[in-house]
Amino acid sequence: MELFLMTITTGVMVGGIYALVALGWVLIYKCSGVLNLAMGEMTLIGAYVSLSFYSMGVPFLLSLLFSLIIGFVLGVITERIFLDKLIGQPVLTVIMVTVGLSFFFKGSIELIWGTDTRIFDPPVFTIEPIHVGPVIIGQAYLWSFVAAIILLIIFVTFFKYTRWGLAMQATADDEMAALSLGVSARFVYATAWAIAFMAAGVGGTLLGNINGLNISVSYLGLLVLPAVVLGGLNSVPGAIVGGILIGVLQNLCGMYLDRYFPGAVKEIAPFAFMAIFLLFRPHGLWGWERIERV
Amino acid sequence: MSTTWLPCGNYHESYTEDHAWWQTNFIKGKMIVLALILFIVIPLLADSYILSVCNLIGYTILGALGVQLLIGFCGQITLGHAAFLAVGGYTSTLLILEFPWPAILTNWGLAYPISIIVAAFVAGIWSVLFGLPSARVKGFYLILTSMAAQFITVDFIITQYVAQIGGRGQAFSLPPGTIKIGPWVIDSDLKVYFLMLFLVTICCLVILNLLRSRAGRAWVAIRDNDISAEVMGINVIKYKLLAFFVAGAIGGVTGAFWISNLAAISPEHFPWFWSLWLVGVILIGGVGSIHGTIFGSLFMVLVMEGLQLAVMPLADTFPKLLMDFLFIKEAAFGLAICAFMIFEPNGLAYRWWQAKNYFNLWPFSY
Repeated sequence: MELFLMTITTGVMVGGIYALVALGWVLIYKCSGVLNLAMGEMTLIGAYVSLSFYSMGVPFLLSLLFSLIIGFVLGVITERIFLDKLIGQPVLTVIMVTVGLSFFFKGSIELIWGTDTRIFDPPVFTIEPIHVGPVIIGQAYLWSFVAAIILLIIFVTFFKYTRWGLAMQATADDEMAALSLGVSARFVYATAWAIAFMAAGVGGTLLGNINGLNISVSYLGLLVLPAVVLGGLNSVPGAIVGGILIGVLQNLCGMYLDRYFPGAVKEIAPFAFMAIFLLFRPHGLWGWERIERV
Repeated sequence: MSTTWLPCGNYHESYTEDHAWWQTNFIKGKMIVLALILFIVIPLLADSYILSVCNLIGYTILGALGVQLLIGFCGQITLGHAAFLAVGGYTSTLLILEFPWPAILTNWGLAYPISIIVAAFVAGIWSVLFGLPSARVKGFYLILTSMAAQFITVDFIITQYVAQIGGRGQAFSLPPGTIKIGPWVIDSDLKVYFLMLFLVTICCLVILNLLRSRAGRAWVAIRDNDISAEVMGINVIKYKLLAFFVAGAIGGVTGAFWISNLAAISPEHFPWFWSLWLVGVILIGGVGSIHGTIFGSLFMVLVMEGLQLAVMPLADTFPKLLMDFLFIKEAAFGLAICAFMIFEPNGLAYRWWQAKNYFNLWPFSY
């Protein structure tokens, strides 16, 4: 029972990070209709930037801030150079551009930072676990979860109460109406990419703190896809719930199914689950069900 | 739509003529010259390196044909085609290594050809299994299903279970002499080249023939608008699954062919990168045309080889460059896809079509 509780708790904590990255993904999709497969590499870039600053002796929070700023700039640049010209193109074209971007980013990352696993040294969070009743939680997990939740709250507040956030919501809801009311669509697209880049960078940094950082962290970017499918492609609450659910599911499968199917169950389970889930509820928990006409 | 320009006053008078492959004597001559070059001139003149590059091109063409069929002709986007290559390769390898072949078959050298056919069927059925969700979902969701196919098949089933059969560890190697077609043992680049030419020709003919049949017209209708296709009375699910079967079968043939070149197989030969690479090939070559597939494969393989040749002389002065070449290749591939999608969305086949049209009417194009 304690094992079960601990698995669930760890799952929720890791799921918080997934939720953060999934939020960035959903934001891009909602605002500009781009299905982004480069999320994993965006995660890596942010993580490596903050790691570089941290290794140079900059305090952790400050290096996180730097990574946010660089993420913002890179997001705007990426949108301006690559995706601005693709508005209104077929789905496959846009998806393959993001795939191309992911290769470009990955190759550049490997060129700049190499392929060895790197850790945050000295460790940011102490290894001492925290005891809550019978449950033992690693500090890295706990603080990552807290940081992810804080950022989630900041982003959601941004959408709900600021002028820019409202402009983004309006564009997501009805692009034509938003344009006619004077919302600049190009500004909204650029902001969406910038925020996604920032969220992904923070997610990558937090994950890098838990397990160390190497190129395989970009697998997180693929895990985002089951999460958003679960929640519904165009629903922000759905992305958060989906991210947490995927975290829990992954940990439960790793704990209980591993002895029956030794090996990579933990990595495969979200995708297998997603493939089955799609058969029954293709539009996710809270996504819009599209009615198609000829 | 006839793609051939006929002299003034000549018309097709039957559908048979309209659908014929080689409609004028000029095209016939052109194709015969091409066949002569491929079957006689290249094997005579090329050295081992050029032949190995040709084999790589052929492998890419075979792999991309299945992707082209699914994406270009049936509109079902797939990002997991390497899984079916892997299924084909492993089926063929395991059959050769583990199956108790009767001596008469191995003496006649039939084990490998039979294993190719079985591999095609197994990969096709495996592909249909992952194509089943296409009955319910499409577009982005189907992409996710095909990605799931890649991860479940290669990273889980093959790495964890299939690769453990026989206790050889991860990589299987085929002893020399086991890959044998009739009296010929496939052991040199030249023999692999001929096998490759044969398979590429057969697969292209099969797909081209399917495309001018009822199935091909149904696929194109589904690609253009699946709801209208259904309204017109096409059994959408049946034809989608047929497309998945044919694509998977060609993938299986590809995988089974490639073991003759490698004489070994391991899950690392079929990464997700390779699935994306194949999609990149057809996008650069041109979606929805068979010769686009061939142009794309030629372009991608030759550019990458050229890049490698360009990097080699620099390696003496910058040894790090050689180590990093893999990363440069990856980044260059990514940029190439982005650039083609943004500036040349119709691919190389469209440029070819333009050039052909220009010279058809040249010099009096008005």
